This record gives sequence, C-alpha cells and structure tokens, in this order.
Amino acid sequence: MRVPLERKVLNENDRIAATLRERFQKHGVFCLNLISSPGSGKTSLLERTLEGFEAGRRVAVLTGDIQTDNDARRLAHFGFPVRQITTGGACHLDARMVERALEGWPVEDLEILFLENVGNLVCPTSYDLGEEARAVLLSVTEGEDKPLKYPATFHHADLMVLSKIDLLPYVPFQADVAKENARRVQPGIEILDVSCTTGEGLDRWRAWLDSHL
Amino acid sequence: MSIAAAVLDSVRAEAANRGGARVARAGLRIGELSGVEPESLRFCLETLVSGSDLDPLAFDFEICPWTRRCRACGAVFRVLEWNPACSACGSADTEAAGGDQMELTYLELEEP
Repeated sequence: MRVPLERKVLNENDRIAATLRERFQKHGVFCLNLISSPGSGKTSLLERTLEGFEAGRRVAVLTGDIQTDNDARRLAHFGFPVRQITTGGACHLDARMVERALEGWPVEDLEILFLENVGNLVCPTSYDLGEEARAVLLSVTEGEDKPLKYPATFHHADLMVLSKIDLLPYVPFQADVAKENARRVQPGIEILDVSCTTGEGLDRWRAWLDSHL
Repeated sequence: MSIAAAVLDSVRAEAANRGGARVARAGLRIGELSGVEPESLRFCLETLVSGSDLDPLAFDFEICPWTRRCRACGAVFRVLEWNPACSACGSADTEAAGGDQMELTYLELEEP
C-alpha cells in the first residue's frame, strides 16, 4: 500500500528554527548566520567587528567548530559574550545545537547575534538556524567559480563578503568574475569587499549590520 | 550522514503514525539546489539502514530541477548553465521557484 506524503526531511530542524526565529523577531535580535569554507576569514571578520563595537553594544557570538574552542577564545578578548558549540564531528550547526547553546543566555537583550557556522560550503546550507540573514564569505585566495560549484550555498545567501581583498595584487583572483558568478546564482545578493588586515570595507560591513537593526 | 539520519527518523515517525507498519520503500524528492548529492545520500541511507530495524528499506529518488519564475512573462523555467534570465522572454527580472526540495514523498507499507 502506497501512502503519499509531503514531509520535509528536516522538518524537526525547521520547527526548532521557526521557534528561534520567532523569539529573535519578538525581541528585535538581528541573527546572522555566517557560512564559508574553512579559512575564508569568518573568525577574523568577527574579531574586527567586535573590536570596532563600543562596550555598550549588545552583541553576542555562537561559534561552531568540529573540535576545539580556539575560536571562542579568540573572540572572547573583546568583552562580548561568546559561546563555543563543539559539534563533535558534525560538519554544520543545526537549530537544536543553537537552541541548546542559547539556554540561560539573555538572548532577549541582544541587538545582534552572530552564528559562526562550521567551515564548510555544503552542509550548513541545508540547516535553517532561525537566522534573519545569511552571509557567505569568499576569500580571494579561493576560486572565482566557487559560487558556481556550490550554488546552493550562494543561492540561499543574502550577502557575500569578498574577504582578504588586500591580497588581490598577489593572486590571480578576478573579483569581477567572482561577483558575476555570485549574481548568476543569486541575482539579489548583496556584495561587500572587505580586508580584515587593512580594515578596508569594514565601515560598509558595519553599516550593513546597522541597517538590519 | 545527518540528513540520512533525519530521513530515517522521518520514516520511523510516519510509520509509527500508521500503527507501526513495516515500510518496504520510501520516495525522496531532492532538489538540485538542496545542497545534497543524491548518490552520497543514497550511500549514507544504505549504510544506516543495513542491520537496522528498517532493513531492507529501499529508496526511490526524484530529482527536482533548479527553476526560476519570470516576473515579466510568468514562465517557470529550468536554470541551465547558472543563467538566471528567463528562457522564454529573456527578462532578467526573475525569482527563485524551486530546486531546494528535500522531502519524503511516499511510503510503501507492507500489508499486515
């Protein structure tokens, strides 16, 4: 006997994510999911971001890694609340991990919650974390064709941060081609050029964050 | 692998809703933009099913194309070569219409 269904495979994750989203929206928390390959500069971008915030800003970070709490320790220097999610093998964050990590945290008092996903351009794409926006980082030491190779990730992103642009003179990366590729996969994507080393573009990145508050 | 585990959890939940019937086959709809590689998923499913309570559950895959809808002429078209422009009228004013599906579409239950 065949029983027809329309059941989303990740419906349990989506259910928890919807609860988180409702909670964030109710309290005016801008939640941003940061996704990229390992080494594209997610943690560096967060370091520079936290460094630039005044002490009174109500900002927090959940950072995901398969192993180690190195990223949380890097980010804890700036005086804002940081928690590490160690996935113990999973190559992505899921909504339940975020829900658990937020237990006992004054999420309601935040204006921005950053979710630094596990470095991976594939698996994090499928998991809604309740975020309001999704940013994908692409560094200039990678290939311009990454948006074409990983279309699902770029298709679901609101913003692409082109990182390490201070290295452009030393690498064959064609920034205009990378941006064109991202816009083919996601015509509505916003794009920001950033260097965490020189600080170039960080003002526009901060303005982008503030525009969501 | 965690998506495969979620598939099996869904199968178990739906079977439990139907009096714990044994499931012989299950249908999966996977979009080209879902981020899931069907052959990898199939391999993970077979690995998890083997020796489990669901053994010898088999899966049918339906692959859904990446599609967009044209805001100018209304056509729904398949995105080929990453080209987001409408294949019918050429307009660049298009929106996402499909391809990120990851769904369980049917269960084939064994007669009691």
